Amino acid sequence: MRLRVKLFAYLTRYRDNLSSGTPCEVDLPEGATLADLLRALQVPDEEVKMAFVNGLAQPEDWQLKDGDEVGIFPPIAGG
Amino acid sequence: MAPMNDPALARYARQIIYGGIGEAGQRALLNAQVTIIGAGATGSVLANHLARAGVGRLRLVDRDFVELNNLQRQLLYDEEDVTGMWPKAVAAARKLRRINSAIEIEDVVADVTPANISGFVADADVVLDGTDNFTTRYLINDVCVKLGKPWVYCGVIATYGMTMTIRPGVTPCLRCVVGELPAPGSVPTCDTAGIIGPIVTLMGSIAATEAIKLLVGQGTLNPGMIHVDLWDDSFDRFELGGRRPDCPTCGQHAYPFLNAEVGTRATTLCGREAVQVSVVGSQGLSLADLATRLQAAGAKTVRTNPFLLRAQIAGHEFTVFPDGRAIIKGTSDEAVAATLYARYVGM
Repeated sequence: MRLRVKLFAYLTRYRDNLSSGTPCEVDLPEGATLADLLRALQVPDEEVKMAFVNGLAQPEDWQLKDGDEVGIFPPIAGG
Repeated sequence: MAPMNDPALARYARQIIYGGIGEAGQRALLNAQVTIIGAGATGSVLANHLARAGVGRLRLVDRDFVELNNLQRQLLYDEEDVTGMWPKAVAAARKLRRINSAIEIEDVVADVTPANISGFVADADVVLDGTDNFTTRYLINDVCVKLGKPWVYCGVIATYGMTMTIRPGVTPCLRCVVGELPAPGSVPTCDTAGIIGPIVTLMGSIAATEAIKLLVGQGTLNPGMIHVDLWDDSFDRFELGGRRPDCPTCGQHAYPFLNAEVGTRATTLCGREAVQVSVVGSQGLSLADLATRLQAAGAKTVRTNPFLLRAQIAGHEFTVFPDGRAIIKGTSDEAVAATLYARYVGM
């Protein structure tokens, strides 16, 4: 299945430093989860992130489907 | 009396003309109490908007003092605040009282802890996040969910920021969305990633408007997470879904940050090589007595004002507050700072 993935803020370093929020396409086997996608993107487990699938926050065991749009953010601490 | 002829309302004429606020909305703002935790970059923007808008009672809580490298983005402060070594809460309140003398502004120079946070938010209609760290935000999240207070998360770094409006019992809480507390060093700080002023002003303005809408009871609240990156021209908004039944805060009501056992705490501060050492339950100390002791111990250039003492000791700059708290510059090692504190402040 093919996913449309956007990485935001400093997580763009895991996608050739595309500018923040620029979509890229990722192919994964059917039945893959958000955790599988993060592994495919080589985002390390210890990197803190929030994932949204089709605009809705979801946990890492969430099962993805063809055509899903996924946004992945770091939480922002500063202020 | 027509609102424009009522002296108490005349200064707010331009926002009363806006139909979403009107006279009833303005009176709601004047009757409201807001607590802003943190008076740095975002806290300055929040406090500035709400004081000018006529929120009747504003409480500003901050543990820090004004430094030169704050002025690039922390809008309420100036060079006199730096040379005067003013605590941010005091400097902010002084500036805000010159802007609007018709409202009550309370300044609190304190580290927000599980022991004192309830007192800062119990009488608030809305709580706002001007902090720079997730430990304090998770504490705010716990107390606001427990007491049923709406609050607005606002985080900024580099050129991007996010904000989320939390209404206990209605929306997911911060912990539902972010999950476990990010470990120290796992997310960038102003120190490592830098920050530009305009993203602070933008995100703080969104959060301040959320507060005004909550207080007035009109307008459409942000239902999700707003994320903006001004450098990459990226504007996104995401929905949050439902509250998590297993959330320790809003699902299970365990409030782990509010119920944390704490004693002496050393915390590395965002944005500089400095550690804060605080003692929960401290009876406080006399700055004059401490100045005498430190001079006897060989400290150089001991200076005090009514709010703090500053001294150079053993190659470090100590700033000590009357509540016993200290910010020790020249190290980012919490253990080193705790040792220096024990040796020279001695509590």
